[in-house]
Amino acid sequence: MTQKKKKRILVIGIAGGLAQILARLILKKSDEYEILGIDSRKTADCPQINGLEYLTMRYSRGNFENLFRSYDFDIVYHLARISHSAHNSDAITKRLDLNLMGTNRILNLCLRFNISKIIILSTYHVYGALADNSVFLTETAPLRASIHYAELRDVVEMDQICTNWIWKNQKQMETVVLRPCNIIGTQINNAISKFLTSPLTLTPIDYNPTYQFIHEFDMAMVLFRAIKEIPLGVYNIAPDDYIAIQDALKRVEGRKIPFIASLGKIINKSLAPFGMSFPDYFIDYLKYTCLIDNTQIKKCLGNDFCRFNVEETLDLVSMR
Amino acid sequence: MNEREKLSEVFESLKEKYQNYQDPWGFNIDSVHKVLEFLLPLYQNYFKVRVFGQENVADRPYMIVSNHSGQIPLDGILIAMAFALEVSPPRVLRAMVERFMAKLPFLGSLSAELGSILGDRQNCEYLLENGESILVFPEGVRGISKSTSDYYKLQKFSAGFFRIALKAQAEILPVAVIGAEEMFPFVYQAKGLAKLLKLPALPLTPIAFPLPSPIDIYIGKPYSLPENLSHEAPESEIREHVYRIEKQIKLMMAKGLKQRRPFFDEVRKPFSDILKQWNSK
Repeated sequence: MTQKKKKRILVIGIAGGLAQILARLILKKSDEYEILGIDSRKTADCPQINGLEYLTMRYSRGNFENLFRSYDFDIVYHLARISHSAHNSDAITKRLDLNLMGTNRILNLCLRFNISKIIILSTYHVYGALADNSVFLTETAPLRASIHYAELRDVVEMDQICTNWIWKNQKQMETVVLRPCNIIGTQINNAISKFLTSPLTLTPIDYNPTYQFIHEFDMAMVLFRAIKEIPLGVYNIAPDDYIAIQDALKRVEGRKIPFIASLGKIINKSLAPFGMSFPDYFIDYLKYTCLIDNTQIKKCLGNDFCRFNVEETLDLVSMR
Repeated sequence: MNEREKLSEVFESLKEKYQNYQDPWGFNIDSVHKVLEFLLPLYQNYFKVRVFGQENVADRPYMIVSNHSGQIPLDGILIAMAFALEVSPPRVLRAMVERFMAKLPFLGSLSAELGSILGDRQNCEYLLENGESILVFPEGVRGISKSTSDYYKLQKFSAGFFRIALKAQAEILPVAVIGAEEMFPFVYQAKGLAKLLKLPALPLTPIAFPLPSPIDIYIGKPYSLPENLSHEAPESEIREHVYRIEKQIKLMMAKGLKQRRPFFDEVRKPFSDILKQWNSK
C-alpha cells in the first residue's frame, strides 16, 4: 500500500517564537503535513524536528519565485510581518519592502502557483489606540492606527492589501487574515512580551487602559486550526477576558517604575541613546484602550478556543 | 442606621452584584465606594441633596436622561449618588462622557474607574444589554457652558440617546436637577484657550470650590418607548419623542424651581456640618 503524499506547508518567518510553536504543533497534531520554514534571520539555532525543513534566504522577489517553483506548497503561513524598526532609512526601507512589497509578492505567487490557502498574521494594532475607541471593535471597524503614527502605516496597508485580496481572489484561493490581540509568552519576543518581562517595568500612573492578552500556545493553536476550521475572511483573535494594564503589571514579576505616560515621548527619546527606547505608538497603547470583538472567531472555533485565561497567561509569561 | 452605615450596606450588596463582572472600561466598585464615602458629607450637608420620585424607579436597567448644569459638571456625581443611596434597588450609574475626558491624564482613568464611559452608541448598547443603567446628558457641553442669563433654560437635546434606547429597548427615565447652575458662577467663556487646550468649552469661574447651593433631584415617570418605531426611523419621527422628553424635563424643572429652597436660608453652616461628619468617621 503506497503512503499518502503529505501536504506541504510553507511557514514564512520560521525563526520567530510563534512560528516555532506552530510548526511543532502541526507536526504533533497531524501526520498529513510536512513543513518548509523560511526566514531571513539565522535558522541554524532552531531545533531540528522531523518533518520540518529550514531555509535561510533573503526575502527578495527572485528568491521567492525560485522557492515557489521548486516546491509544491498547499498552504502558506505568512508570519513575517515586521512591526518595529529602527528610525534609520535602511531599516525602514527593509520593513516597507517586507511588509508591503513582500506581502504582495507572496500573495501573487500563491495565486500563480495554485496555493489552496494562505493564513496571514496581522495585528490588532491596525485599529489604533485612540481615546474614542468603542469596545469591542469588530472586524469592520475602520483601521485608524496610522492617524497618529506613520510608523504603523505599512502595517495597516499590509492588512488592507490582504483583506482586499480575500474577496478579489476568493474563487481561486482561500485567504484568512488574523488580527490577534497582544500575543505573549516565554518564547515570543515581541514588544509587549519584552515590556511585561523586563526587570524594570514602566508602569503608567496617569492612564490605565484595558488589555487583552492571548497566550502564544493558544495563538499557535488558532493558526493550526485555521487550516481546516477557519474559512476565508478577517478575524479578530482575543479571549473573552481582559485586564487593566496596571493590574497586569502587578501580576508579572519585575521592578515597577511609575511612569507618566503623558510624558512618554520625551522619556522615550531620552532612553534612545541607551538603546532602551520602545516604539512611539506603543505609548498610546499604554494610554487608550483598544479591545477587539471575538464573536466571529468563536463562530468558527467555539466559545472555549483559548485554553488559558488572562491571569494564567500573565503568570506563564512571568516564567520567561 | 446612619448614612455611612447605610452606604456600606448598599455597597456590600453592589459588590456582590459585581463580583463576577468584568468591565472593559476599568470600572471598579471599590473605587466607587471609596469616592462616594468621601463625598457623602458634601452630598448630605453641603449640597443638602433632596431626591423626589424614587417610586418611579423599578428593578431594571434605564437610560437616565437629565438636564446638565454648572460650569463643572458635578450634577452627574450627585445624580449617581442619589441612585446609589436613595433608590431601590441601588445601582451604580454609568455616565456617558465626552471623548476629551478619556484623553485627560489621571482624570480620564479615574472617571473610568468610577463608571464613566465614552458616549458612544456601541458602548451604551453593550452596557444596557448587560443590565447596567446609563446616565446621559443630551444637552452635552452646551448644557454646562451656559451664561448666567441662560440658567435653567434647557438646551436642545441631541437625538442619539433615543435611537440607542430604541435599539436596546431600554426605558428612559427623565431627571431634572435644580440648584447645580449656581454652584460655579459664570464669568467668561474662554473659547480661544479651550481651542488651544483641545477642550470642547472652558467656562471660567472665579471660585475653585463649588458654592453650597441646595440641590433637588426630581426623577420623573419613565418614558415608554413607542412600539413599532425603529431605531433607524427618520429624524423627524425620533425628534417628536425627544421633544416630548425635553418637555417632561422642562415641566419638572419648572415645578422644582417653584419648590426650591431659598439659597441663603438653606446655606447655613455647611462647613461645620461636614467637618462634624468627617470627624465622626
